[in-house]
Amino acid sequence: MRIIDESVLEDLALGAAVLGTGGGGDPYIGKLMARQAIRDYGPVELYTLDELDDDDLIVPTAMMGAPTVMVEKMPNGDDIVNAFLSVGKYIGKPVKATMSIEAGGLNSVVPIYCAARLSVPMVDCDGMGRAFPELQMVTHTIHGISSTPFAMSDERGNTVLMETISNLWTETFARSVTVNMGAMAMIALYAATVAQLKEAAIPGTITLAEEIGKVVRRARLEEDEPVETIREAVGGYLIFKGKIGDVERRTEAGFAKGDAHIEGIDEYAGQRLQLSFQNEHLAARIDGEFKVTVPDLLAVLDVDTGEPITTEGLRYGFRVAIIAIPCAEKWRSPKGLEIVGPGYFGYDTEYIPVEQTYGAG
Amino acid sequence: MRHLHEENIEDIALGAAVLGTGGGGDPYVGKLMAREAVRQYGPVELYTLDELDDDDLIVPSAGMGAPIVIVEKLPAGDDMIRAFKALGKYSGREPRGTMSIEAGGLNSIMPIYVAARLRIPMVDCDGMGRAFPEIQMTIFTAHGITASPFAMSDERGNVLLMDTISNHWVETFARSCVVHMGAEGMIALYSATVKQLKEAAIHGTITLAEEIGKTVRNARRDEANPVDAVRQAVGGFLLFRGKITDVDRRIEGGWNRGDAKMAGSGDFSGQELLLEFQNEHLAVRIDGEFAATVPDLIAVLDSETGEPITTEALRYGMRVAVIAFPCAPQWREPAALELAHPRYFGYDVDYVPVEERYRGA
Repeated sequence: MRIIDESVLEDLALGAAVLGTGGGGDPYIGKLMARQAIRDYGPVELYTLDELDDDDLIVPTAMMGAPTVMVEKMPNGDDIVNAFLSVGKYIGKPVKATMSIEAGGLNSVVPIYCAARLSVPMVDCDGMGRAFPELQMVTHTIHGISSTPFAMSDERGNTVLMETISNLWTETFARSVTVNMGAMAMIALYAATVAQLKEAAIPGTITLAEEIGKVVRRARLEEDEPVETIREAVGGYLIFKGKIGDVERRTEAGFAKGDAHIEGIDEYAGQRLQLSFQNEHLAARIDGEFKVTVPDLLAVLDVDTGEPITTEGLRYGFRVAIIAIPCAEKWRSPKGLEIVGPGYFGYDTEYIPVEQTYGAG
Repeated sequence: MRHLHEENIEDIALGAAVLGTGGGGDPYVGKLMAREAVRQYGPVELYTLDELDDDDLIVPSAGMGAPIVIVEKLPAGDDMIRAFKALGKYSGREPRGTMSIEAGGLNSIMPIYVAARLRIPMVDCDGMGRAFPEIQMTIFTAHGITASPFAMSDERGNVLLMDTISNHWVETFARSCVVHMGAEGMIALYSATVKQLKEAAIHGTITLAEEIGKTVRNARRDEANPVDAVRQAVGGFLLFRGKITDVDRRIEGGWNRGDAKMAGSGDFSGQELLLEFQNEHLAVRIDGEFAATVPDLIAVLDSETGEPITTEALRYGMRVAVIAFPCAPQWREPAALELAHPRYFGYDVDYVPVEERYRGA
């Protein structure tokens, strides 16, 4: 067990933005909320799965919706607490702790807010090792853990609970209700025991985010080449440097969808990269050819500072470096690729692990 | 207390179609389900509110969605039971009985199915005295009874539970979800004690439906003028006789919407009638002038048989009579009228009770 206090939050949020692959919500707002909760209620205990009893029940908490909305319409905090407590009450068993379902972006820090306010521990693991746009896209689904009982709450005081026959049905109903709630809702889902999580979760991802954040922070202060330092820290590959041209963006069915077109600079001059996103970066095509796709991670970094840029932060004229990072191994199983492979998102291409494309170089 | 047998169900269904004002779902489907349940599980006990204890908890059950879909996609039955039980479990109180939330159309009968299968009483009252297209449009809302806890289930086994800050929010969330369920979901809602219902419900509406049904049936058998017999039984006014010349119909937001045009015959020849509906008939204009609007009831009857015609059954060439009759007086109180005012449905017109327009006609 270790303590998450204010000083940890900065690094965690920064690293979560890298793992967020452009999405998962801007961690900035989540960080402010978690910091306030730690100030008001004290620091949060972070446990590894091994430090807990196999029978302990864990209920992850998260935000659902379009990150573009989230930036302007902040959660009020009661919504998260309502969702978390509703699931516990519905199950009728004591809940030991919360965790992140999505270590990338906002949802790395949302559970810290919940843990601080309710004085419950948090577990150092998640269900994605990154961020993904739909709620069935978690390693829990691969292992047959149900997303329900599922609870979603808004800032007005409405709560919707679901018991569904599949995690895709939860996504279907919850996405509609999220739109009704104003494109943003707070959710609690995928209740599981520690024994189940030892099989199904990706361990250590909160610590991983924190470590990545630490590297980014130091690189910014001390290094000449922060992008290269970050690339090394995440075990990734530099695939492009360029200047953002057009960004097409639309909020569709509760998602932030779009494409950014990036003109190569330096050794990439003359090349064009098309980056497609749906809350998160999904695929990078260079001169029309798929180079990196989900489930591998794509991070867009400010070329000078190494700061990760979210999809809603992409702007004409930004100079960026794009790095690709291998996803958690669980995603590369046939079942994993069925849930989050390029085919699910409508890309007619095979998944090729990023280290096969770029490893040789 | 009296028992509802197969023959009672026939008459209730017929009368409920009149009170359904074109909507509430074709009672035919509900009648088949209720008849089957009564054959299998025995007759249903129908209680008046005075025969029950003030503390008894009553949970209405109903179908929600586009009636035109329900005709082709029959409810499974288990979905109704699932919604009813989920609500009882969620609220932690065993319901004593069920009732109709909407005495018009399909939802007059659906609770008979639930009562028969679960061997629980049904109460002789409802929340509308007719049919209306949206969940919050009940006398209960005007009396501050909440639609939530609200439960909804589909034939696949999905269950949604809602706790909202207003009845309108239940409508918003549930309407989105019912579209995903295939424009049809089974619901349980508006839990209330007998004491609350004595204040808020419209009493005796199942018996009223049955009496109207009996009148129609007898008139048909005795070869009397069945349209006039129905008109007299409901205390209504004949607005029009004519032939349907055009029907415009669409499924929109989980509802049947549209309008029908009719050309007058007999005393009404030379006149044109426009009937608009959203699941139920909302307004009638004759030669451009409003002749009747919500919350008063508008029924379209086969001019030969007096058989009520639902909005989804309206067809070019049908010869029909249009009658209008006064709504339950509770609807005319300001808090209730606001919920079902012509302006709520987009008509820029004051509500004029139908008997004021037609008194002495």
